[in-house]
Order: sequence, then structure tokens, then C-alpha cells
Amino acid sequence: MTDELKFPDAGDRADSPGEPVVTLIREAYAPPDAAAWPDVYWAGLETRIMARVSAEAEKGWWAELVPWARVGLVAAAAIFAFAGVVNNQLGAAEDQMAYEAVNQPDLTTASDEPIAGQYVSTSGDAAALSYYLSN
Amino acid sequence: MRTPDEERALAKAARAGDQDAFAGLVRLHQRRAYLVARSIVTVHEDAEDAVQEGFVRAYQAIQRFDTSQNFGPWLNRIVANAALDIARRRKVRSTEELTDALRSPFRDPGEHAELRERLAAALAELSERARAVIVMHDVEGFTHAEIGEMLGVPGGTARSDLHHARKKLRELLQDLRD
Repeated sequence: MTDELKFPDAGDRADSPGEPVVTLIREAYAPPDAAAWPDVYWAGLETRIMARVSAEAEKGWWAELVPWARVGLVAAAAIFAFAGVVNNQLGAAEDQMAYEAVNQPDLTTASDEPIAGQYVSTSGDAAALSYYLSN
Repeated sequence: MRTPDEERALAKAARAGDQDAFAGLVRLHQRRAYLVARSIVTVHEDAEDAVQEGFVRAYQAIQRFDTSQNFGPWLNRIVANAALDIARRRKVRSTEELTDALRSPFRDPGEHAELRERLAAALAELSERARAVIVMHDVEGFTHAEIGEMLGVPGGTARSDLHHARKKLRELLQDLRD
């Protein structure tokens, strides 16, 4: 069920304000400048419209891109910011690695073999036995 | 007066970039477009702005216009949207002047100009949509479906709006009928 059935066309017309009111509305909403010289007014409006249309046409195809310019700028700024964050994090990791390289012993070249003549501190029976057997 | 076929030919040529053809469409439709805009914004200068803006938007969108359809309703929808945009921006515009005209003592009902002013003031009391529906239907003869399409509401809503707008207008002009 739609409104179509609630307000049939015949009723619409019967309810119409009538020709005198319609004429008054037309007059009330007519352009004030058109009263004396209607043709001049409408020709003038057409000229103004076409001037704007021509200006629009002269902007060329790239004018279509103007609305996208802001989107493009925002996207570029976002990419730039993201690249900055990534670069910053990579730099921090490199700094950390350099710091650790300087401050920690080089475990890859370390050996368990005692250097000749060096006292090796040990403890317990196994260490004492090892000492006597070696001397 | 042009036939629908001639109008269609103009629309096709305008779509192909012919500005003279678009000027032909402007010539054909500007009066009706003005009334549509004026019924929404009520002020002449705003109506002119809406008509110009509407035609420019139509020109920008002409590639999307289906030339198997009538140009008028498509254009008027765009003009109505432009007028509604202006009306939203002008929401704060004072209508005191018109309201005063509506309530002023009725000196001489026989005076045509005064009747016209009273009617304009009464129309200004209606909402934008109600006023537009009355003018589009009763003055311009658009169907409910066309009006609904132009104002972005279902045809049934336009019909219902018309009913209520006429009722309100009758109430506002009651003293003229007595």
C-alpha cells in the first residue's frame, strides 16, 4: 500500500489552488528584472550562464583532478610520515647493534683453552686431581 | 518550442562538447529552472545563483546524462539540489519582512499587488520542500514522481507534502477567502 492510493490524482486536482492563485504565484516568483523586458532579462541570464560554462570548459581536463589534489596531498603526507617512522626505527636498531658490538666481548673468537702459564681457578676434587696429574 | 527529438539532439550534441547546443538547452529550460530554484530559496538573487550553479553542474555532468531520457527533469533535479544547498547556507536569513507582510492588516483585497505579496509571504511561511512541491506541481505541472526525484524523496512523500502544504497555505490565507 502506498501513498498513491491515499491521495488520488483526481483529489489532487480538485484540491488545487486554482488558476488565479497559480497566476499570482507565477507573478510573485517571476524575476523582478523580467517584468518590463522579459526577453532582455532571459537573454542576459543565458549569457551569464554560458560565460560560467565557457569558463568551466576552459579549465580543461586537469580541472577534474583538482578535487583529488587534497586527497593526493593527504596520501603523500601519510606515506612520508610512515617512511619517517620506518626510517627512525631502522636507525634505532642499527644504533643498538653498534652499541652492543662495542660493549660486549667478541664471543665468536673466545676459547676455553687456558693461556700458557696462566693460573686457572678451579674448585672441587676433580680440579685438584687435574692439577696433580698435569704436574 | 522544440520537440523532444530536437531537445534530445541538442543534449547529444552538448554531450559531444558543442557549447552552442548547451546554450540551446539553457534557452529552453532556464525559465522553469528559475521557478524551481525560486520556489526553494524564495529570494531572486539566490534563485539566479542556483540556476547558474545548476547549469554549470549539469555541464560538468553531461557525460553521465542518459540521452534517452528527458533533459528537463534531470536538469531540474540538479538545480533543485543547488537551491537546497544555498537554502541550507542561508538558513539564518531573516524572514521577518515576509512574516510582517503576511500579518499586516489587509487594506484592500482587490489590489492585485497586495494579493501577490500576501501569497508570497504565505509561501515563505512554508518549509522549503512544501513550497517547492506546491510550485512544482500546481504551477509547473510536474508529476509527483518527478518532484520526488528532484527533491530526493519518494513520489508518495511529494504527494503527501503537497496535501499538507496546500492545507497550510489555505490556513494562512484564510482571511482572503472569508
